[in-house]
Amino acid sequence: MTAIGFNRFFHKTAALDSTPSQALTPVKEAAIVATHINMLYRNGSEEFKALQDVNLRVKAGEVHLLMGPSGSGKTTLLSILAGLLTPTAGQVCLLGEEITKFSRSRLAAFRLQSLGFIFQGFNLFPALTACENVEVAFHLKGIQGPQARHQSIELLTQVGLADRAHHRPQDLSGGQKQRVAIARALAGDPQIIMADEPTAALDSHNGYAVIELLRELAKTGGRTVLIVTHDPRILDIADRVTDLEDGKIVPH
Amino acid sequence: MASIARKNLFEDIPRFLVAQAGIMFAVSLVTIQLGILKGFSRSTAIVIDYASADLWVASKEMVSFELTSPIPADYINQATQTPGVDRAEILLLRAGRWRGPDGKLSPTRIFGFNPDGQLFAGWKLRDGELNAIKQPYSAIVANGVQKSLGLDPPDERTGGSIGGLPVTIVGTAEDVQSNASSPFLFASLETANAYGSAEVNSSINCTRNAGGDLNCVNSFKNRPIGEKVGELPTPKPLSVGDPITYILIRAKPGEDLPTLKQRLTQALPETQVLTQTELAALTRNYWEARTGVGFILGLGATVGFIVGMVVVGQILYASVADHLREFGTLKAMGAPNSVIYRIIIEQSLWMAILGYVPSMGICLALGQWTQVTRGIMILIEPSTGIAVLVLTIVMCVGSALFAVQKVTRVDPAIVFKA
Repeated sequence: MTAIGFNRFFHKTAALDSTPSQALTPVKEAAIVATHINMLYRNGSEEFKALQDVNLRVKAGEVHLLMGPSGSGKTTLLSILAGLLTPTAGQVCLLGEEITKFSRSRLAAFRLQSLGFIFQGFNLFPALTACENVEVAFHLKGIQGPQARHQSIELLTQVGLADRAHHRPQDLSGGQKQRVAIARALAGDPQIIMADEPTAALDSHNGYAVIELLRELAKTGGRTVLIVTHDPRILDIADRVTDLEDGKIVPH
Repeated sequence: MASIARKNLFEDIPRFLVAQAGIMFAVSLVTIQLGILKGFSRSTAIVIDYASADLWVASKEMVSFELTSPIPADYINQATQTPGVDRAEILLLRAGRWRGPDGKLSPTRIFGFNPDGQLFAGWKLRDGELNAIKQPYSAIVANGVQKSLGLDPPDERTGGSIGGLPVTIVGTAEDVQSNASSPFLFASLETANAYGSAEVNSSINCTRNAGGDLNCVNSFKNRPIGEKVGELPTPKPLSVGDPITYILIRAKPGEDLPTLKQRLTQALPETQVLTQTELAALTRNYWEARTGVGFILGLGATVGFIVGMVVVGQILYASVADHLREFGTLKAMGAPNSVIYRIIIEQSLWMAILGYVPSMGICLALGQWTQVTRGIMILIEPSTGIAVLVLTIVMCVGSALFAVQKVTRVDPAIVFKA
């Protein structure tokens, strides 16, 4: 989808700050605040600006879409917001903490406690059952044994997969795999969920099922959900949309 | 945590089996090389280990058990009369050229001892009686060497000869052959002495010339092949002037061995006196350190270890590369590096244990087979088993550290790439 296509949903876009000079400061109601983010890739003498002076604020409890064509920098921005990539310049504050100043280990600990991830390719552990895939997240958070097993089953029940808890990913459909990934992302009740093209690898039926689930997730949990997507169907559940093109936020 | 390491390992059984085959090969290589080295080392002095002497009197020139000079036979009398000596027995070591029933020659090592003695022949007989060697020109053969002596089938008893003198095999000794030596034959002192000097008959004919000078001709004649026992004279008993190789000493109960050693050394000029342990250690050290054999076998074990490291390293590295996205996912989820290291090291430990157990079974069976069929000892003692287990773990965990490097460098942003 092009940026022009996104503009059909203009009424929802309000998150971007189109005045780059205006610095954003972490505020209580903002779960994600990115300020003057630049990302520069160098290949020998060649330079590629993946992101240019991006500013973004995502309010706590909202479902925020990050949209744009391929190569627009969406995934790079998501990686930076998740603390998986360090920007060339700029600041990222999550839940009031400036994560760009964190050490790697503190960053890892922060991700573990506060972020849940949903990936386009599901990224499940193929050798583990659905239940064990969710349990891994609990174990990382220090919840072990029967308690982790019980909570994993509970989450799988929430996503409608209680009967598939002991199946391995190879025995699940794409939609079921993504639901397992969503259950895993919810383990430990993180405040922010970041999803990268959650419906891209799914057919329309499974895609809708996952969108419904994300809608539920946003409504019931009071979590902040940031979704990178091409999929216009997800717009229905979004509170706000930010468009990216050529590494820049498209002003509306 | 649900064991990702173990589950990853068993996720693809055919692939797991191929990987384990590689590890088993490496572990077997190390075990067999170490087993051969230890078996070889043990075998070089196994005859000494079976003896029950407190002290061994040898030539001062003795380098190792089979590399020594003779001492006079009358030293046995002086040894017996030395205070503190309870019993003394002669041991002869002779080299001989064995001609098998098939007519082929091979070297042999002949041990001569008193079959009524108590200090030398502690080994077990697979068949036959020790007393049977009292019969002239009869001997006991070490098990496993029959084939190299041309005794085929192995229970063939006659047809062999040494220096033209016939040999009747009257028994088989179990687990006594040195891997570093020619096939062992055990005979009475008289028979061994006869075999040792039977290679040629010599005679000296002297005539005095007109000037009064003595003109002597020493003539040598080979013994005729296939001479029958009945046609031969009974082997002569040892005389005081005959050369012998060792005197085995049993000390009187409560006797201080270092003091007795001193006494014997003083009483028997040009000799050295060693305890049984010292002689065995000296012999093993000679073969391990002074010959290339120990070095070569040690090198083999080292190469086995290195090959194992490479094999396991490749397997683990490939496994980690296959699961890189999963490790990236764990890192993205916030797993500390220690969790990921633990998974890889746990996987390597599983591989080590599951590779070690069957390998050890194979090596034990192989060692049994080579011992029975070839007389070659692959010695896998509990200490060897433990050492190989430790080496296997070091090998696998060491290899895992290479794989860890790959994970350490993994970009967690990989998780967002479809």
